[in-house]
Amino acid sequence: MASPGAIIKSTTRQVKPLLSLDKSEARRRVLNLYKAWYRQIPYVVMDYDIPKTVPDCRKKLREEFDKNRHVQDIRVVDMLVIKGQMELKETVEIWKQKGHIMNYFKETIEPKPQGFLSKFLAGHE
Amino acid sequence: MMRLPVHRVLQKAVRHGVSGNGAVRGLAAAPEKVEVFIDDKRVLVEPGTTVLQAAAVAGVEIPRFCYHDRLSIAGNCRMCLVEVEKSLKPVASCAMPVMKGMRVKTNSEATRKAREGVMEFLLINHPLDCPICDQGGECDLQDQSMTFGSDKSRFTDIHFSGKRAVEDKNIGPLVKTIMTRCIHCTRCIRFASEVAGVDDMGTTGRGSDMQVGTYVEKMLMSELSGNIIDLCPVGALTSKPYAFTARPWETRATESIDVMDALGSNIVVSTRTGEVLRILPRMNDEINEEWIADKSRFSCDGLKRQRLTLPMLKNQNGELTPVEWEDALVGVAQALKSARGNQVAAIAGGLADAEALTAIKDLLNRLDSELLCTEEIFPLDGSGTDLRSNYLLNSKIAGIEEADLVLLVGTNPRFEAPLLNTRLRKSWINNELNVGLIGPKVDLTYSYEHVGSGPDSLNAVLEGKHAFSKQLQNAKRPIIIVGSTALQRADGAVVLAKIQKLCSTLRAKGSIDQDWRVLNVLHRVASQVAALDLGYAPGAQKIRDAKPKVLFMLGADEGVIKREDLAPGSFIIYQGHHGDKGAEIADAVLPGAAYTEKQATYVNTEGRAQQTIVAVTAPGMAREDWKIVRALSEILGIKLPYDNLNEIRRRMGEIAPNLTRYGDVEDANYFTQAAQLADLALGKGSLTTDPLDVPLKELEDYYMTNSISRASPTMAKCIQSVRKQRQSKY
Repeated sequence: MASPGAIIKSTTRQVKPLLSLDKSEARRRVLNLYKAWYRQIPYVVMDYDIPKTVPDCRKKLREEFDKNRHVQDIRVVDMLVIKGQMELKETVEIWKQKGHIMNYFKETIEPKPQGFLSKFLAGHE
Repeated sequence: MMRLPVHRVLQKAVRHGVSGNGAVRGLAAAPEKVEVFIDDKRVLVEPGTTVLQAAAVAGVEIPRFCYHDRLSIAGNCRMCLVEVEKSLKPVASCAMPVMKGMRVKTNSEATRKAREGVMEFLLINHPLDCPICDQGGECDLQDQSMTFGSDKSRFTDIHFSGKRAVEDKNIGPLVKTIMTRCIHCTRCIRFASEVAGVDDMGTTGRGSDMQVGTYVEKMLMSELSGNIIDLCPVGALTSKPYAFTARPWETRATESIDVMDALGSNIVVSTRTGEVLRILPRMNDEINEEWIADKSRFSCDGLKRQRLTLPMLKNQNGELTPVEWEDALVGVAQALKSARGNQVAAIAGGLADAEALTAIKDLLNRLDSELLCTEEIFPLDGSGTDLRSNYLLNSKIAGIEEADLVLLVGTNPRFEAPLLNTRLRKSWINNELNVGLIGPKVDLTYSYEHVGSGPDSLNAVLEGKHAFSKQLQNAKRPIIIVGSTALQRADGAVVLAKIQKLCSTLRAKGSIDQDWRVLNVLHRVASQVAALDLGYAPGAQKIRDAKPKVLFMLGADEGVIKREDLAPGSFIIYQGHHGDKGAEIADAVLPGAAYTEKQATYVNTEGRAQQTIVAVTAPGMAREDWKIVRALSEILGIKLPYDNLNEIRRRMGEIAPNLTRYGDVEDANYFTQAAQLADLALGKGSLTTDPLDVPLKELEDYYMTNSISRASPTMAKCIQSVRKQRQSKY
């Protein structure tokens, strides 16, 4: 049987960092990404000719970041930042199309009925 | 009409003795077991079992066409030939009893040769029309020729004389015959004469001129005729309504419960692309063995006609017009809002499920009303429906096989519960069961003693003045089955009380086992027992007395309540699946789901809870019944506390726990107390002199009894051809 010391050692073993070594570094990366998006938004609205104003888009940007507010793990934060950068790159280079940008707003998706009565009226289960 | 010869009866008795339920029959200790070797595997079986059964015990299935578990042994197809050591010729294993030390080879060269030979002969006289044959994909001949047949054929029609051909017979609107495909296994003949009790089928001619048929053109006048379709191992007998419809591999099978009668036969619903194509029986030895009645099997086309698919409200002109669900529910809620207490009532029909019954009861209780009734009447004098044993088939369906005397009162089981009647007939053949009947003289397919047609003969039997009462007194395991019809009468309470008295006097003699049940009630509709378990009042008299302003009809299609019975200007809500008598008089129609479209609980006449499973979705805007009530309650502002099936079933379990114990029968008791309380009913009234009558006397009465079967074109055709057959001189 392994000694108690060994068990503690094995569970607290060091994980390999993705990019950031501590919380503050991860936070800096997030803010940098946010700023980059924030500055890009006027150009996005213009280039893609979307029916949204700059403040609308900034609200959406904040929403998208707030979605992941609860994430604590530094490695996950880093990974999300990388993904965000990729999205940004695709947007800046106009690799995306208008629909891809509008997809952030999910205007065409109807919310599923919630609650017994609305489900009943809609004919969903 | 045939009963088995004595040696067959004895043989059956031996089998029963071993299975345990016949131990009381006073037989000597079970005889020693016989040792046989199947493929060198040693098995011990009862003497008298056949080689084929012994092989089944050893786990070897021998191919067969004519042999069937529940029919007598014919031994004429020869497919089950096996090699037996020290026997010169191969032996037909289905007909050969085992002998001590017998060594059977089921897979030897000789056995395989014999099978190939038999198969070759069968195929010489069988057409090669599998691509257009309805049995294709579920054909025993197809399967077995693949497994046991030869890889090549020596049959070459060098003279182009053609294969054997036989003229097709017309035996009614249910069974299609393509007699050229027949391999003469005689299963249909044996079924008709042994189980259905209709001796119309037989063989004519011999050798290659042999034909199976009715000799003269005649309809097979049986309520069980559909079963010969399942029995036929080839495509000679197929379903007429299902002809050329689908292949078995295209369909989806859903195991469900039948609601055409109160037995709750187990069925399999075959569906394709949201349509019920056919209904087949599912094996359940406790209820339907492996048969189902024709109404259960063929009335499924009624599920597509006359359906209510849209919610409807009456407009200013008094015409029902389709509306959205929301408008319909609001309209109904407005009517219900103004009514409280005795001003609102509900009546449930014969096809209502326990979930919907629970929801409606909860809804009306929240509106301060207790006016919840069923269309079927059950007397409430004495202990009424307070004791479950009063309204159940207490001996159970399978229990009939152990009875030695059955008295039927005011019922025609042949048409009210065909599979109960097959049990009675089975017992009549195998166990020398004696049957007495009080009621109209009807054809039960077996002989019975007609005790009398009026309630006076019931009195005579009770007082011991009738010759039949002596038989009853001497019976060790008597069963008295009273039909629900007899209890619909004005003096129904007295009839039931008299029978309860009779049961307790029989029991008082002490010759009957303590746990043997004598009193049995046979219901006619699937919903009745669940409704009574949930506390519905049987019969609509309470509603007629109260004259409510709002009536909620849950599939009530028998026209028990008319608009005149309600307060003037009353509002009638109909919830159900078919546009029938109920929807006709309604001010608001809420489309519900039929039994193939909902997961719902039904309790059969034994008190056995079973559930149907969703096979197809309900058509149009129709919804599951309990959900409609639940949605209505929310709009009324008295939300019922269940949102899904589990929650409503938990509520059902709170009211009556037996409703959610699927497959089990909860034993009911308190017969003595019920009999004591029966005196109360006896004191209140007396028997009338009208003879006990049953509405279903002849086969043509059987086919249409509820909203589904009334909408079924196949059932209409059945009635037509039965009437035509009655004109015929045969």
